[in-house]
Amino acid sequence: MSSPAVHPEDDPLATRPTPPALARMFVGVALAGIGGGLPAHTRRALTTRGWMTEELFAETFTLAQLTPGPNAVNLAAMVGARLAGRLGAVASVLGVLTPGLLAMLAVSVVTLGQPGGLPPSLQSALRGAACAALAVLLTAALPVVRVGWGVRGGAVITMLAFLALGVLRLDLLPVLLVLLGAGLLIHRPRRSDA
Amino acid sequence: MPDLWEMFLAFARLGLISFGGTNVAEIERSLVLQHGWIDARTLANGFALGQLMPGPNMLAVTHYGYAAAGLGGALAATLGFYGPTALLSAAAALAWQRHSAHPWVIAFRNALLPFGGGVMLAGALVLARTSVTSLPAGLLAAAAFLLLWRTRVNSAAVVLGAAAVGALLGL
Repeated sequence: MSSPAVHPEDDPLATRPTPPALARMFVGVALAGIGGGLPAHTRRALTTRGWMTEELFAETFTLAQLTPGPNAVNLAAMVGARLAGRLGAVASVLGVLTPGLLAMLAVSVVTLGQPGGLPPSLQSALRGAACAALAVLLTAALPVVRVGWGVRGGAVITMLAFLALGVLRLDLLPVLLVLLGAGLLIHRPRRSDA
Repeated sequence: MPDLWEMFLAFARLGLISFGGTNVAEIERSLVLQHGWIDARTLANGFALGQLMPGPNMLAVTHYGYAAAGLGGALAATLGFYGPTALLSAAAALAWQRHSAHPWVIAFRNALLPFGGGVMLAGALVLARTSVTSLPAGLLAAAAFLLLWRTRVNSAAVVLGAAAVGALLGL
């Protein structure tokens, strides 16, 4: 059913990068990824350097989808861990975060440090940007919703999660536990699947 | 001035409970409604700025931390939001190499995916309540959505363009 995991040690392409090399690569990925698409940039950077095969990347990417938290950073942590162990994970995460962290700090100092708030034109510009940011979130949500909709019972779970969290503003953890429990019940492994 | 350790923990919780995307609804519930560290306007502005930054677009958390408690707050928020989940992911990657696909892993994925979709739609609704306050704003959001959905334009370019339109219209 599932293909066996490709291990770096029996990967013909494997030239094992050092943690500093990974950090440098992820700084480049972050700079290329203004406006999103970090996983795509990560894939390109890894495969062109011959540090990871397509299969290994696809497997790592799927796994990153399953872990809680921001996908792009989790992906960096996983890639780093697989290629260069714990230090590799730390170096990759620092690499992917540092450029944006410094840029965001600079922007925050400028935009929040104004006494009496921002000039009106800048406030209007930010309001316009917020409208587009909402559109970015929606376009990112649609593929996730489509995939979830295709799963058995998925449409109902999606709508219930939307109502509970978006409309009723309930606390996430109980909603997560109830809906995840329902999903696990629907999809529990049966002997016939094995 | 919020306690930095409390901020670190709040952001760590937000990072650990966001699945497959950004959980804007829960971020707003925690930071605006529960703790009162930022207001809804700062939430929407930070989210917009995050789309323009190099790197993961939830660097908005850095902005929120700075707005709430200055430089220390920014670092506490960023480390809290990204640190624990990254550690967990690295551990999962190393464990995954040892265990092959288990039927319960597939069941878990099928249970999680629809939930993640609902989480993202809820976040869009929360942002829309703050951002789409007038007809021009609604039209601008719709236009940006069509551009992003139908063309391959870089999303940072769309956000910058919308900022220019917003300034021109005086939104």
